[in-house]
Amino acid sequence: MSKRKRIVVICPGRGSYTKEELGYLAKAPSLIGDFLTDLDQRRQADGDPTITELDSAANFKINLHTKGEHASTLIYACSYYDFARLDPQEYETVAITGNSMGWYIALALGGSLGWGEAYSVIQGMGSMMRNQIVGGQIIYPICDENWQIRYEVEQEIGLILEEINSRPDHEAYLSIRLGGYLVLGANGPGLKHLLKSLPPKDHYPFQLINHGAFHTPLMEDISQQAFKHFSPEIFMSPQVPLIDGRGHIWKPWSCISEELYDYTLGHQVIKPYDFSQAITVALKEFGPDHLVLLGPGGSLGGSIGQILVANRWRSITDKSEFQKRQAQAPFLISMGRKEHPL
Amino acid sequence: MFNRAEIIDQNFSRFVRAAHLPQAQSTTSPEDAGLKPQHFIDLFESQIISRHLDLQARLLKNQHLCYYTIGSSGHEGNAALGKVFRFSDMAFLHYRSCALMIQRAKQLPGSTPIYDNLLSFMASSDDPIAGGRHKVFGSRPLFVPPQTSTIASHLPKAVGAALSIARAKDLKLRDTELPSDSVILCSFGDASVNHSTAVGAINTACLISYQHMNLPLVLICEDNGIGISVPTPGNWVADQYSQRRGLKYFVCDGLNLCDVVAKAKEAESYVRLRRRPVFFHLKIIRLLGHAGSDVESTYKSLRQIESAEFNDPLLHSARTAIKYGFLSPHQVLDLYETLRQQVAAVTKEALARPKLLEPGDVASSLTSCAPPRTSPAPSTSTSLTLFPPPSGRWHLAKLINFALAELLERYPMALVFGEDVAAKGGVYNVTDGLLKRFGPKRVFNSPLDEQSILGTAIGMAHNGFLPIPEVQFLAYVHNAEDQIRGEAATLAFFSQGQFTNPMILRVAGLPYQKGFGGHFHNDNSLAVFRDIPGLIIAVPSNGFDAARMLRALAKEAYERGRVVIFVEPIALYMTKDLHQTGDKLWTFEYPLDPEDEIAPGEFGVFEFSSKQHPDLAIVTYGNGYYLSRQAEKVLRENHGLTIKIIDLRWIAPLNKTKLCEELRGIDGVLIVDECRKTGSLSEGLVALLVEGLNPLPHIKVEAAHDCFITLGVAAAAGLPSQESIVDAALKLKSRSKPNNREGTL
Repeated sequence: MSKRKRIVVICPGRGSYTKEELGYLAKAPSLIGDFLTDLDQRRQADGDPTITELDSAANFKINLHTKGEHASTLIYACSYYDFARLDPQEYETVAITGNSMGWYIALALGGSLGWGEAYSVIQGMGSMMRNQIVGGQIIYPICDENWQIRYEVEQEIGLILEEINSRPDHEAYLSIRLGGYLVLGANGPGLKHLLKSLPPKDHYPFQLINHGAFHTPLMEDISQQAFKHFSPEIFMSPQVPLIDGRGHIWKPWSCISEELYDYTLGHQVIKPYDFSQAITVALKEFGPDHLVLLGPGGSLGGSIGQILVANRWRSITDKSEFQKRQAQAPFLISMGRKEHPL
Repeated sequence: MFNRAEIIDQNFSRFVRAAHLPQAQSTTSPEDAGLKPQHFIDLFESQIISRHLDLQARLLKNQHLCYYTIGSSGHEGNAALGKVFRFSDMAFLHYRSCALMIQRAKQLPGSTPIYDNLLSFMASSDDPIAGGRHKVFGSRPLFVPPQTSTIASHLPKAVGAALSIARAKDLKLRDTELPSDSVILCSFGDASVNHSTAVGAINTACLISYQHMNLPLVLICEDNGIGISVPTPGNWVADQYSQRRGLKYFVCDGLNLCDVVAKAKEAESYVRLRRRPVFFHLKIIRLLGHAGSDVESTYKSLRQIESAEFNDPLLHSARTAIKYGFLSPHQVLDLYETLRQQVAAVTKEALARPKLLEPGDVASSLTSCAPPRTSPAPSTSTSLTLFPPPSGRWHLAKLINFALAELLERYPMALVFGEDVAAKGGVYNVTDGLLKRFGPKRVFNSPLDEQSILGTAIGMAHNGFLPIPEVQFLAYVHNAEDQIRGEAATLAFFSQGQFTNPMILRVAGLPYQKGFGGHFHNDNSLAVFRDIPGLIIAVPSNGFDAARMLRALAKEAYERGRVVIFVEPIALYMTKDLHQTGDKLWTFEYPLDPEDEIAPGEFGVFEFSSKQHPDLAIVTYGNGYYLSRQAEKVLRENHGLTIKIIDLRWIAPLNKTKLCEELRGIDGVLIVDECRKTGSLSEGLVALLVEGLNPLPHIKVEAAHDCFITLGVAAAAGLPSQESIVDAALKLKSRSKPNNREGTL
């Protein structure tokens, strides 16, 4: 067996670039010099602020940095940068997955989309709601303080969603299964009702800023636009197995790229994204030595920890055990966090 | 020479590198099969993963870390069936189905077949299907109920499941498990076709098809030419099954994935549209012997072994991939090694998973773990509209008849079937009138084959039905007992209660039948059921109890998925009188309140007069209770004794605590058992009382002799009788003295 460490790479989604990440790319921009230059030129041509400008801005501006048309590509660039930092002599990437928008980054890093095409998809999908965001997302915990998932809470939320959808003009759906959290997507009336109906727990329910109702039927129009806008020909078989938001594995030799295109712009856009299942499949079907969460940030780490707990993976059975292991010999390497430099 | 696993592993790389690959045995190309390059490689990957799992199992076995090495090597062509058929086509699979399972799992995103298979090999309690209880191929989300499959005992249920699909549609049932356009798959080996279960099931399938009824069943014979060490004669399988009326035969080269896909598509199309059974003959080879412990060289020459190994289906697939330019030899080898590393890495993780240790944990899945189904509300018009109003007093047979009608009315998914149960109404008229009232879709005759009757029940239950099969006589159960013992009773156990096959099996039996019978119609032993874990066994002694017990049993079966045996004492079917002709004391009114039930474990207690300490207690059931009631009158009137009689009603589960409470403080306990003494309940009861009562009462057993029932006037010879019970009670009474607490046996 290879002596390299087997890793599954995880690409983060929207919301991972926060004010702490400003200057993320400034650490060693030369590592991705051509790539970054290309991105900046494309954005300049589109009349958007360049990634370099955004990343090197003096201040983090919510109205600028978190907007879909900027955040998506900014995160893509940071993840690309982290991926480039992985030493192939030391690490063997056996699969790549991602959360939500991270799926597009996974497609890029896995070789299913070229540089430019990946930018088009990421920027395109991030910009389709440039003028009017469709609905929004709310995040809500379903685990206790020890990270034990309480499935009855998930069932109760299901009933709440059912009730909301029975009201005229209200729509609310499961958007993402995210370890110990559920992300719910809804239209305006649905969001208001959700915020009222979900029992308050710490600072939850919490509405995510500048997020649309991703992965719900409310995105049907966006999906249709995407199919019109992007050609199936830009999708290729990946060079590394990709694990999608259902836990399906797309393998290099057996992937049919038209199906990957259909999934990415269809199912993935309008149906729930099951990040929990994607990570579970990564663990069980690839047996990695490490999970590697690419930056920016590391906010997905908690959800990943909760998924490890749910699977009792490597005897990690609660939050404190996860934290203890992370401090000693981390199974999850979070490249966006300072304590995990590679 | 003996480590053939290592050799076939090395051969693969060596032969691919050297371009020394076996000749194709069929000409079907990927294009002929409609396979794109990616489709083909997808199948090839499943084959390779299956092989690496086998190889890992052998390695782990050597380290005592794996408990099951019967592998799938040589059978990997069955992966094609996992692609062609839908994952919602319920599959009863035999033990060489790894590649098929891996491929099938790909249809359901989020599946983890590598990990799940390894957990199963290692008997980990995390194994999602059996929880460490056995290596089985099974999955609730993939519609694969686990099978032991070693003796083809899963074929009869496959027939039942196939029969259930159209029946559910005909009856417009909701909440069934199987889609109305689904088909059933059932795989087995070439040697297994010789099992009576296989022969019987295929016969039943043909019989159904012959009568132009729907039976969407694919019988997959994976023919590797040998059963452990015994070769199957050349064309035996084809000669037996290629020309059967009602059975469409397909044959394919199982070493050529393209041929399997092409033929499987034809078969799939035929069975899906025509709804008629198919015999799919997959010609393959076996590699690595029967199991890890089987040394093939003791019965095969090295040349034969090597010849089979050169025909490795993986080498055939490699040849195809290279020939059509899907992969270069280097890429084939790279794929093989990448997947080896993947399987090895997952193995490392799976090894760390927990094992079953505690007896309580092992036994925890004897019954369903699913949230109970809720029984439909009883019909307000129950039974009143079914027959002439059941006012007045009736004997056992008629009261069971009413109760069955009530159950059929209340449970639209309940079915009554068995030999002669339809137009004839059963040999004892217990099912009289049910056909007329509920129609032939719900009340129907079965072929004269008990394995098929029970298999039909099991299969139907897999699709949400509540089967109430009848086996005409207790003695007839024996030729089919494994359908209960090895199949129905074990399904919840080997699936952690995820799958259940509820049923109420009615069996007419027990002795004392006058004017008819002999052993074959009056068998008097319940041992065939008593030791099977998880069964509920009921023996009513009268119709009033029987109706109320059946109500409770329907709930146990329907709501909790239990397998229930309801043994009806033939001799009491028509009995009306207890003490003298015309007293009608053994007739009862029908208990009209649908909530009036007798729960499992609840005894019937008879005391002529309430006395704090009766002189004796009699513990009995069935005919024994009836006879004990007669004896009680004699003992009371002629000997002044006060007797408490306990009608157990339930052979299993036996409420041990409550029984001891009922008997505490009584000096003498007489056990009356109409069954043959050896292996009878009386033995268990004695042990139970010895363990449970202190001080110990005097105990005496009046049970049937260890003999078979004969014909004619001696039919009741050696059985407990009113006289023998009186006699035994008097003897027991003479032994018990109020202050003697030491007891005797």
